[in-house]
Amino acid sequence: MPRYELCVILKAMQRPETAAVLRRTVETLLERGAVVRSLESLGERRLPYKISKHDSRHTHGGYFSVDFHASPKIVSELLDHLERDIDVLRPTLLKKDPELSQTHCCGAQAEEAKSAASR
Amino acid sequence: MFALSFSRLLLQALPKQTVTPRATAQCIRSLTSQQEPLKKGDMPIKMENPYKTPPKTCILCNITVDFKNVQLLSQFISPHTGRIYGRHITGLCGRKQKEVSKAIKKARSMGFMSVTLKDPQFIKDPDICGIKHFE
Repeated sequence: MPRYELCVILKAMQRPETAAVLRRTVETLLERGAVVRSLESLGERRLPYKISKHDSRHTHGGYFSVDFHASPKIVSELLDHLERDIDVLRPTLLKKDPELSQTHCCGAQAEEAKSAASR
Repeated sequence: MFALSFSRLLLQALPKQTVTPRATAQCIRSLTSQQEPLKKGDMPIKMENPYKTPPKTCILCNITVDFKNVQLLSQFISPHTGRIYGRHITGLCGRKQKEVSKAIKKARSMGFMSVTLKDPQFIKDPDICGIKHFE
């Protein structure tokens, strides 16, 4: 199953309310057969620009990242559900690519070019 | 320069004579003397070039570029307009420049990074790009 990352920006709320939102988000994920790997908080910070969502303008928000494995069929449903949630300002779902090997970086590239030219 | 061309002209004017090598005493000594016997322990030791220059790398070599790492990405944008610097300013290799550019655009659309300015807390960061702004 492909691996996804959901980065949500939640409205600046009190702790119990934020917890409730996160709980129901993760529950929706689990309902649709996703395997949640981790849930990280990226802190509550000032937004880089004012976001107008659900009839209000927001300046602060809580950033959270959910790492999970899921089938590709639930992607559109999930995004739709998150868009409707009043407390979610900006949901973004990304596919996590397998990390590229670091050996193919600048130095290795230059050496390969040299050896190819010398041959 | 004029003297050189003048002397060249003179040489060309002179009749060409075949130059026979004159057998001097020194020449004969080098031709007939026996070569010194090669000592087995005297051969050059095979080793990697000790004067090899380290491979040229860009500053982001072996560093993963993530859209969440806003501080790193902010080092490659203008503090006044928030525009992404080109390759000739950042000095990054092709691959990394593309990664950084993509990450910045991703961060902007996801609400992690501002579009038109650089986050004030990152303005005092060390200057990687070395661009001189109009003061």
